[in-house]
Amino acid sequence: MKKISIILIILIMLTACSGGNNTPSTPNEPVDNLNENGSDDNLVSDGFVFETNGVEIAMNQEVAPIIEKLGDSKEYFEAEHCALPGLEKTYTYNGFELYTYEKNGVDSVSSILFLDDSVKTKEGIYLYSSLDDVLEAYGDDYEQKLDLYIYERGDSQLCFLIEDGEVTSIEYIAITE
Amino acid sequence: MTKKRIITFVSFICVLLASLFLLQKLFMPKYVHGIVEGSLIEEYYTEEEKNHDIIFIGDCEVYENFSPITLWENYGITSYIRGSAQQLIWQSYYLLEETLKYETPKVAVFNVLAMMYDEPQKEAYNRMTLDGMKMSSSKINSIKASMMEDESIIDYFIPLFRYHSRWSELENDDFKYLFKKENLFHNGYYMRADVKPVTSIPKGKKLPDYRFGENAYDYLDRMVELCKSKGIELVLIKAPSLYPYWYDEWDEQMVEYAKKHDLLYINFLNHIDEIGLNFEEDTYDAGLHLNVYGAEKLADYFGRILVKKFDLEDKRNDEKLKKIWDSKIEFYNEMKEKQLKEIEEYGYIKSLAPNPGQ
Repeated sequence: MKKISIILIILIMLTACSGGNNTPSTPNEPVDNLNENGSDDNLVSDGFVFETNGVEIAMNQEVAPIIEKLGDSKEYFEAEHCALPGLEKTYTYNGFELYTYEKNGVDSVSSILFLDDSVKTKEGIYLYSSLDDVLEAYGDDYEQKLDLYIYERGDSQLCFLIEDGEVTSIEYIAITE
Repeated sequence: MTKKRIITFVSFICVLLASLFLLQKLFMPKYVHGIVEGSLIEEYYTEEEKNHDIIFIGDCEVYENFSPITLWENYGITSYIRGSAQQLIWQSYYLLEETLKYETPKVAVFNVLAMMYDEPQKEAYNRMTLDGMKMSSSKINSIKASMMEDESIIDYFIPLFRYHSRWSELENDDFKYLFKKENLFHNGYYMRADVKPVTSIPKGKKLPDYRFGENAYDYLDRMVELCKSKGIELVLIKAPSLYPYWYDEWDEQMVEYAKKHDLLYINFLNHIDEIGLNFEEDTYDAGLHLNVYGAEKLADYFGRILVKKFDLEDKRNDEKLKKIWDSKIEFYNEMKEKQLKEIEEYGYIKSLAPNPGQ
């Protein structure tokens, strides 16, 4: 009887403890910065925020209210994850692309990529700005990987690709894990 | 008295181990609905005749884009796809190494998209490739090469440690498929008969560095050496999937590598018209993967090249093989018909949905 009890205790310990994830590692919960009306008027984010036509977009923010404000995109693309649930969506607007990831059925912002110099960062950096402009606007607290300058703030990164002293790519990226 | 104690103790240990084994079997994901791709790797071991002309290795761009049934039907080539979701190049290498313990194909085909990854990516994908492998030195080395920082090797040896918390989400499938699963694939090919046309494909983002990583090249070198040592022709391919974006800079490196090592490299993206692919009807997910119609066209095109280049024998008159492959063709056609019926009735392939019973 004593031995049976020991077996049962071991089995219960092994099966019932809640450590470890059952499912694959997933991104953080989306940032809920919206007010009761689903507006981002009071968007509070400790990360980088992109602003276009009065619409502020933070990384990991729920996408639906943003799309509602931005209106229909010029192009739309969605891709299923290989063998994992959820869709990655890409909305193309004038000057930038907005990428999403899905967490618990909610689409959230995963990144924003500048397509041309018709858009700029909140701190005034465009495509083709100089490296000096970037350093003046964002300082020298960056990580450099080859020609990529990566600034990190809150749950976001702002990445500048510098070629021949000029910014040739700007991307906001959500830190999700 | 002492003997009785020993018997009791041994019995106790046996009961304990058997219970843990059963629990482990019960808690491990079964991958029979929804994410079925997790069953790909282990299904190889159920293959009756492990003596194939061609072994494919690689990610979803092999197991969703080539139909081994078409290779057999049109050219009498026997093939098996040892593919898995986001299969990284070191996993491909060790899977090939393991496969060569069972058989020696004439040709090994590797899809080079995996060159874009130089380090482990995601535990979920690791699991889908590694859990299905039988224990071997290849598996152990693959685990070591694949583990993320927060993973532990013991969790791979004893998956119960990893999956024990599934106790609260056990479903009927976990009991139904405790010991045996039905085959879901066609020599490693994942069939999809649905259609979702391409609308737009995002352009590739600018990268700070287009060079493939040292680790990726190291395993590609090892693959070349492994094939050379066994007298196997290694063929590098880039499947005609339109996304993820395949950069010209990447392609140039593969062209150069193949030239340097005297390998055949085919970028099927450059042959879409010759293959006859129509991305309005030959893809089920808007250009990422081909559906069964596209996979049959691609296999037919590739088969022609393989026969010509490597002088592969047409084995359709081999009675033993014919019997085996007739049965495979029957299963293939039945599945295609079943999927088409489901698409007609429900608008999607219900049997592949996460909860097909609902």
